[in-house]
Amino acid sequence: MARYGMVIDTRKCVGCYACRVSCQMQNELPVEESYIKFYEKETGVFPNVKNEIIPVQCQHCEDAPCVSVCPTKATYTTKEGIVLVDADKCIGCKYCMVACHYGARTQDHNTGVVEKCRFCAELVAEGKQPACVSTCISNARIFGDLDDPNSEVSKAIVKMNAQPLRPDLGKAKIYYVR
Amino acid sequence: MVWGTIIAAYLFLAGLSAGAFLTSSYAARKYPDAKTVRIVGRLISPILMGIGLLLLIVDAEAGLKDPLRFIYLFTNFSSVMTIGTYFISFFMMAAAYIALMELLKKDTNKIVEYVGIVFAVATAIYTGFLIGVIGAVPLWNTAILPILFVVSAFSTGIAGTMLVSAILDKKMIHHVMSIKKIHLTLLISEVFLIFTMFLITSSTNESAAQSVGMLLSGEYSPLFWVGLIVIGLIVPISIEALELWNSKKIHQSQAGLEVAASGSYGITATLITESAVLAGGFILRYLLLAAAVPVIFL
Repeated sequence: MARYGMVIDTRKCVGCYACRVSCQMQNELPVEESYIKFYEKETGVFPNVKNEIIPVQCQHCEDAPCVSVCPTKATYTTKEGIVLVDADKCIGCKYCMVACHYGARTQDHNTGVVEKCRFCAELVAEGKQPACVSTCISNARIFGDLDDPNSEVSKAIVKMNAQPLRPDLGKAKIYYVR
Repeated sequence: MVWGTIIAAYLFLAGLSAGAFLTSSYAARKYPDAKTVRIVGRLISPILMGIGLLLLIVDAEAGLKDPLRFIYLFTNFSSVMTIGTYFISFFMMAAAYIALMELLKKDTNKIVEYVGIVFAVATAIYTGFLIGVIGAVPLWNTAILPILFVVSAFSTGIAGTMLVSAILDKKMIHHVMSIKKIHLTLLISEVFLIFTMFLITSSTNESAAQSVGMLLSGEYSPLFWVGLIVIGLIVPISIEALELWNSKKIHQSQAGLEVAASGSYGITATLITESAVLAGGFILRYLLLAAAVPVIFL
């Protein structure tokens, strides 16, 4: 069984927001709702400064706080390690939004259901890549099976020493190269 | 602010309801003559909890549109909210039964009352654990928060019960001095707990320090200092302390006893104190939700 994860190389990210747009199209989201948020971070001391653009979405944590706090079991983890929301069970209490370390969740304004990045589970099931990965203009995103040492994503993690945003906050499955 | 005013009101009402239930149970044992206090506490408790639950349902938009989904609330035992749903269900059943018996003027089943007491305490603690277990918000993620919420719940419960009782029966409230003493103790503990929490939590975490900064000197500081500290705590503590001190004097002098016997009491002080405590209880919860700064993950 696969255990899906992703690498995001922020050194390659140009901040074009193409991933966000493709995600919105894939998930039929209105313009103001999005599963991918962009953060900018400045590091260093002038003149040696670096400006980094960091796309953040659901990190599909293995010990996801949203799964444990969800009172209705609407949020669950699939066998492939994808954290999903069963829209028919969600009551919209927003406990998961409060519990998420990454502010990755957003509430659908029409249904009140809380949703988030689903690693495009339906595309992945067909053997395709998630929309944000296939659309990325600079190949900053790599998706694949973390349990397979020969997968592109596993190799990239090792080669570029990719790390979760905050390894101390939980077992996230999106690894960042920074 | 993911959780706003509605959730603050719910947390406040749940605590108030649990506190009112406990106040009435205490009054029923300690002061069998103080019927008003007992009846008021027993009646307002399920009503306030009911209003709180209605607010929750309105805030849970997806459930509001498909109410059968609320059944699922009983399914995930790793969620504090599920545990709380059980606590509130048992508490609500016991409180509603006891209120009904009070209305029918029948004797209450003692076992149901004890169950009610246990789940009233559980409900009050749960409101603290609900947000206390959230690691993403360091301001809440402290061991002292549930204790603060319990103390505040009992304190607002006494205030709510005494406020309504004072309006209905002016004399009675001056006979239940031990309730006033308990109330004063709770209010003073609350001041101590709030500042302990702020001091410790802001020294352990950057986000928590930001939250505390917002409350003590930032955008919420007027509401914190004027609303919570002065109106919600210092005013009631001062009035309550003066009242207790005066009552001691009255019962020690002959003239005082005559005044007491003639029944010429004022309720202004009580009305001000208890309204202030209630305002403070709501403001406390509102501020803690509003000043929630999540952990910095970048």
